[in-house]
Amino acid sequence: MRKTLYIQLLLLSVVIGAITFVISLVVISWLPKVASEEGERIDAIYLFTSIICIVIFAIVAAVTIYAMFKFRAKPGELEDGKPIHGHTGIEIMWTLIPTILVTAIGIWSAIVVVQNDDLPDDHRIVAVQAQQFAWSFTYNDERDGLGGMQVGELVVRVNEPLELHMTSPDVIHAFWVPEWRQKQDVVPGITTFYRITPTEEGVFPIICTELCGLGHSVMRNQVRVLNDEAFEAWATEIRSAVDGGGETLGKSVFQNQGCAACHALADAGATGAIGPDLDSVLTGQSAEAIRQSIVDPNAVISEGFAEGVMPPYGAVPEDQLEALVDYLATAVGDGS
Amino acid sequence: MSDATAHTVEHGEHEVGHAPAPPDRRNLLQRPGWVRAVMYGAISFGLATAFVTGLRSLGDLDPIWELDVLLTAWTVVVPLGFLTGLGVFSYWIYWVTGKPTLPDDHSGHGADSWKDYFKVNTDHKVIGVQYLITVFFFFVVGGLMAMFIRAELAEPGTQLIDPNAFNGFTSVHATLMIFLFVVPVFAGLGNYVIPIMIGATDMAFPRLNALSFWMLPIGGLIILSSFLLPGGAFSAGWTNYAPLATQQPDSNLMFQMGVQWAGASSIATALNFLVTIITMRAPGMTFWRMPLLCWANFTTSLLVVLATPFIAGSQFLLMFDRVLHTNFFEVAGGGYVVGYQHIFWFYSHPAVYIMLLPGFGIISEVLSVFARKPIFGYRLMALSLVAILFLGFSVWAHHMFVAGMAPWLRIPMMITTLLIAVPTGIKVFSWLATLWEGKIHFKTPMLWAVGFISMFVIGGLSGIFLGSVPIDQHASDTYFVVAHIHYVLYGGSVFTIFAGVYYWFPKMTGRMYNETLGKAHFWLTFIAFNVTFFAQHWVGLQGMPRRVADYDPVFADWNMVSSIGSFVLGASTLIFLYNMLVSWRSGEPAPSNPWRALTIEWQISSPPSKFNFDEIPQVVGGPYEYGVPGARHVVLNGSRTVETEKPEPATVGAEH
Amino acid sequence: MTSVAPTESDHGHAHGHGDHPPEQYYSSKVEPPILGIYLFLASEAMLFGSFFAAYFFARVAVPHEFWPPINPKTGHQFELPVFLALINTIILVTSSVTVHWAVTSLKRNYRAGLIAGLTLTSLLGLTFLLIQIREYMRIGFSPRDEAFGSTFYGLTGLHGAHVFMGLTFLSFALWRSMKGHYSPKHHVGLELPAIYWHFVDVMWIVVYVMVYVV
Ligand code: HEA
Ligand code: HEA
Ligand code: HEC
Ligand code: CUA
Ligand SMILES: [Cu+2]
Repeated sequence: MRKTLYIQLLLLSVVIGAITFVISLVVISWLPKVASEEGERIDAIYLFTSIICIVIFAIVAAVTIYAMFKFRAKPGELEDGKPIHGHTGIEIMWTLIPTILVTAIGIWSAIVVVQNDDLPDDHRIVAVQAQQFAWSFTYNDERDGLGGMQVGELVVRVNEPLELHMTSPDVIHAFWVPEWRQKQDVVPGITTFYRITPTEEGVFPIICTELCGLGHSVMRNQVRVLNDEAFEAWATEIRSAVDGGGETLGKSVFQNQGCAACHALADAGATGAIGPDLDSVLTGQSAEAIRQSIVDPNAVISEGFAEGVMPPYGAVPEDQLEALVDYLATAVGDGS
Repeated sequence: MSDATAHTVEHGEHEVGHAPAPPDRRNLLQRPGWVRAVMYGAISFGLATAFVTGLRSLGDLDPIWELDVLLTAWTVVVPLGFLTGLGVFSYWIYWVTGKPTLPDDHSGHGADSWKDYFKVNTDHKVIGVQYLITVFFFFVVGGLMAMFIRAELAEPGTQLIDPNAFNGFTSVHATLMIFLFVVPVFAGLGNYVIPIMIGATDMAFPRLNALSFWMLPIGGLIILSSFLLPGGAFSAGWTNYAPLATQQPDSNLMFQMGVQWAGASSIATALNFLVTIITMRAPGMTFWRMPLLCWANFTTSLLVVLATPFIAGSQFLLMFDRVLHTNFFEVAGGGYVVGYQHIFWFYSHPAVYIMLLPGFGIISEVLSVFARKPIFGYRLMALSLVAILFLGFSVWAHHMFVAGMAPWLRIPMMITTLLIAVPTGIKVFSWLATLWEGKIHFKTPMLWAVGFISMFVIGGLSGIFLGSVPIDQHASDTYFVVAHIHYVLYGGSVFTIFAGVYYWFPKMTGRMYNETLGKAHFWLTFIAFNVTFFAQHWVGLQGMPRRVADYDPVFADWNMVSSIGSFVLGASTLIFLYNMLVSWRSGEPAPSNPWRALTIEWQISSPPSKFNFDEIPQVVGGPYEYGVPGARHVVLNGSRTVETEKPEPATVGAEH
Repeated sequence: MTSVAPTESDHGHAHGHGDHPPEQYYSSKVEPPILGIYLFLASEAMLFGSFFAAYFFARVAVPHEFWPPINPKTGHQFELPVFLALINTIILVTSSVTVHWAVTSLKRNYRAGLIAGLTLTSLLGLTFLLIQIREYMRIGFSPRDEAFGSTFYGLTGLHGAHVFMGLTFLSFALWRSMKGHYSPKHHVGLELPAIYWHFVDVMWIVVYVMVYVV
């Protein structure tokens, strides 16, 4: 009798385990596509943990379901169950086995942490500034002649190790690229580091995951991972846009500063809806007024919008700011 | 602090015999009660305002009407005035000043009509019911906010509420659910049953107990009142991280002050539980004969007493940063931002066990009664609670793996975090073993208990994922965490709460609840709960961050599913509320022991008499000896078999 | 194989009357109020712990050249009146002795000692507070001056608030002693403030060592 009980139970666990296994690891893909070396390591430990958890869950579910059907009292039955008070052997077993399993997860995780923290020396350094509610990126080393260049969108080379030095002037934000798997808070007062080696080309979202105020849900940007050729082409373009000045500069500043995340502007192909539609509101505004709206947005709040959503852009280099204001004033302003 | 003392004192006089206290002839404004409370509250309001503005004008501070200073003063002083007016402090004021204290005619015990529940009452059973009603009120309010959250999230974009209102609703939702529902609901249930379970006539400090209760709604109302302030409710999340919290409008103060009242309430209750369990167990009730619920409340109370001051501290410091412009967490003045998180989580991680251990206790009671079997491995069950207590203090930084804290802390904290699975696993496996070869009766409480096991295990296992640093680097602050929260807190804590409420409902009200409705409630909730929260694991891992009012349209479908699930979940709660209200008024009368349980509370009438027992019971065996022929846990009324040595009653004599 | 669950008939005459509570049984020799105050103080110690945590974060986690750091307003290091605080420490330790004397006097039924002890303790406590206030007024920085100022005022202020509460309790105890309350056997009402006062004293020593000395 006892033996058949256990065999039935075992079968049930195997069935539940198999079903959970198929559903959770074969049918559904839980994680998005992976696009970094670090992410691959994380996926491996994720898979390992999943398997352990599936086994545990299958056992628990099997015992519960089995007990529900097998040991149900008949209606009106007043008999008590077997007075079993415990069993030292079994208790030791279910203390030891989980200890071993979680220690294994712990050790493997620790190894991954150490490996992921360890970046080859020849990495690119990009300074990231997160502020309510926009990202900006400054290339910190002279590679590709980009030294000191500030852009509003992260563009990196595939397979080149990358270290982000992240700071925030206001509140805590967090930098997350789901395809890279890594996430790191950006904390005022300290510099935090984000180390990654992208392995896939493509465009991936950058998402702020730390509640940072009203615009938190729209504090997004993107990273473009390019192959060497495309990256160099981009670098050349950026350099010449900055050197070239004039209208192209204004437009690229608009695009690089992430204005498009919040504003619509037909000329720049921007469709953001958090802030006013610049095509309609800027008509007839003076350059001075536009400048103030950018540098000190809270001085005048446009009707129907909340204070404190648009970040002040006082730190944009003067020539770029000038070009931006010019661009906005001519692209839409003065009725032209 | 000397309720117990006072109690025996008056009791001494009691033996001599005295007539019931003469009716209070003071007029309504002088007599303790709501009228006086409102009056004192108003006077305190005036005094606080005058004091603040007076000081500010003396000190030439500009502006004289500084809202944040005034709010701080109001939220401290007005509740104190209100409580004094209500009469919560009357006894102590007489006592410390050495005036003759009023002899207790025990009018503070028992409740004869519903009106008595609105008075200051020192009876642990009345206080228990007061607690339960209050916290379910806040559960419904917090749940309605969740309905708004889900309605807004049903589709991408902004439809119903703007981001400010959205963040306000999430923050207040979580704050109410945690500080005004799950933490205090166990204080309520424990208040009702623990003194009876250990064979005591009341809690050790009945007046402190009343104070604990009355501080709770004050905290809740302060938190809710933040909706009335300019700028809308506080919206920095229930974690209220600096420096966002200091940057927020003044309503953020309402979180800081509300949490102080709720925290003080929970410290006071915990202290009361500890002293009661240590000093007032019936003869024969050794620690190893205590029901596991008492063990669970004991360990929980230790956690509360030791951890809660840390959230008090974190909110005090935050308040100073806002109101006094200090620099505890201000970067510009050399403060350390991440320090806030350390202090906050040093409370708030233990808090998650504060929100679950009593539930573990309830599950142990329910499972063994309805499986008609002793709890498997009773001692290890008790010891695993203690292990969780200790480990619980050593894992707080797992909420900060990506927060920019000292990197070396991550690995030790990860190991301790993962190790918590071991004592928790012992509990889960022992419950399963308790079911094994039992004679299981699937009454409503049992459905919740069994449902709890599988739901909590899912939540616990997602905790294991989060506990691994590399996985957390991906999953932190996403909907995966939201799913974890709700599997452990709803599928865990709230399921145990429902189990406990159904289980003790006959005892508390003297009436049976409706079994069919109870089962319908369970099944509907069980399904709707999973529909609401399961897909959130996937959505989170795929890239949806938490605390967002708007999201990437690729997640629209599953969010819609989740929202629909949540409305059904809300509706299922209506069944529960209906069942409770109707059964309380007109349910079938309950026998004293409908579940054939062995613990003491089931051996006395339903509802219990005013002082629980005519004579203190004698405990003669373990609490779960189902199936053991002739075994007894307790002997009531006069049939004491063992004469235990009786320590001198704590203190006697009118001098102190 | 059914276990015995006593039914209502087991205690036939139950519930009906119940205007009198049965005499409570105490399972421990510790008096509940005394146990209560110790648990309360454990909680208080943790509250101090959270303030100390903030202090150590400001001191250790944020890089500094010196500690105490430079006051940006004056360009010099902050200075703390270590010597004055030492005097204050001595005062407070003495007051712990006097309150202990008051309690033992009562136990020996020596009421004059009780009253004198409590009076002395209150006076010493008051002196401590006044010196502290004086120190605040002359110290030359405010809670707004850097995290150093905030944590300094935070810890000493939290402690000061406890001294104030302790003093209030002590003066009630003094008042009641003078009215002839308490007896050699029954003195919980005196012991509670005394225990609290010892705690305030011990806490000060920790604050003094951590903030002024190291
Ligand atoms: C009741 C509440 C409760 C409970 C019990 C738990 C239990 C656990 N929690 Fe959870 N947690 C929360 C409530 C709770 N949590 C909340 C509210 C948050 C979010 C806070 C916020 O940011 O807003 C959170 C967040 C949170 C995080 C941070 C996520 C992030 O923000 O990045 C982490 C990371 O480690 C974590 C881990 C764990 C672990 C390891 C457990 C463990 O205790 C679980 C142990 C249980 C089991 C593992 C299942 C049973 C065991 C077995 C069957 C044995 C065998 C098992 C194995 C061998 C694996 N939790
Ligand atoms: C005990 C704790 C607890 C409980 C019970 C709940 C219950 C629920 N929670 Fe909550 N939740 C938290 C604790 C809890 N939550 C925490 C800690 C957070 C993190 C907050 C933060 O980020 O700071 C959170 C966050 C949170 C989010 C994420 C918000 C975000 O990150 O932006 C969501 C979204 O779906 C959510 C939904 C729900 C739902 C649908 C319920 C439902 O189960 C509620 C069901 C109950 C009712 C609905 C009330 C009673 C019913 C009626 C009165 C019937 C009438 C109503 C209708 C039929 C519409 N919760
Ligand atoms: C996080 C969202 C956000 C970002 C990023 C953002 N803005 Fe705005 N912007 C707003 C909001 C909201 C308003 C309306 C409130 C106000 O006037 O401050 C606004 C207002 C303005 C106005 C004034 C419009 C009027 O009605 O006069 C101008 C001009 C403007 N933004 C330009 C920019 C430029 C240029 C950038 C990029 C360098 C930018 N914004 C980035 C949200 C944003
Ligand atoms: Cu920045 Cu959220
Ligand atoms: Cu935790």
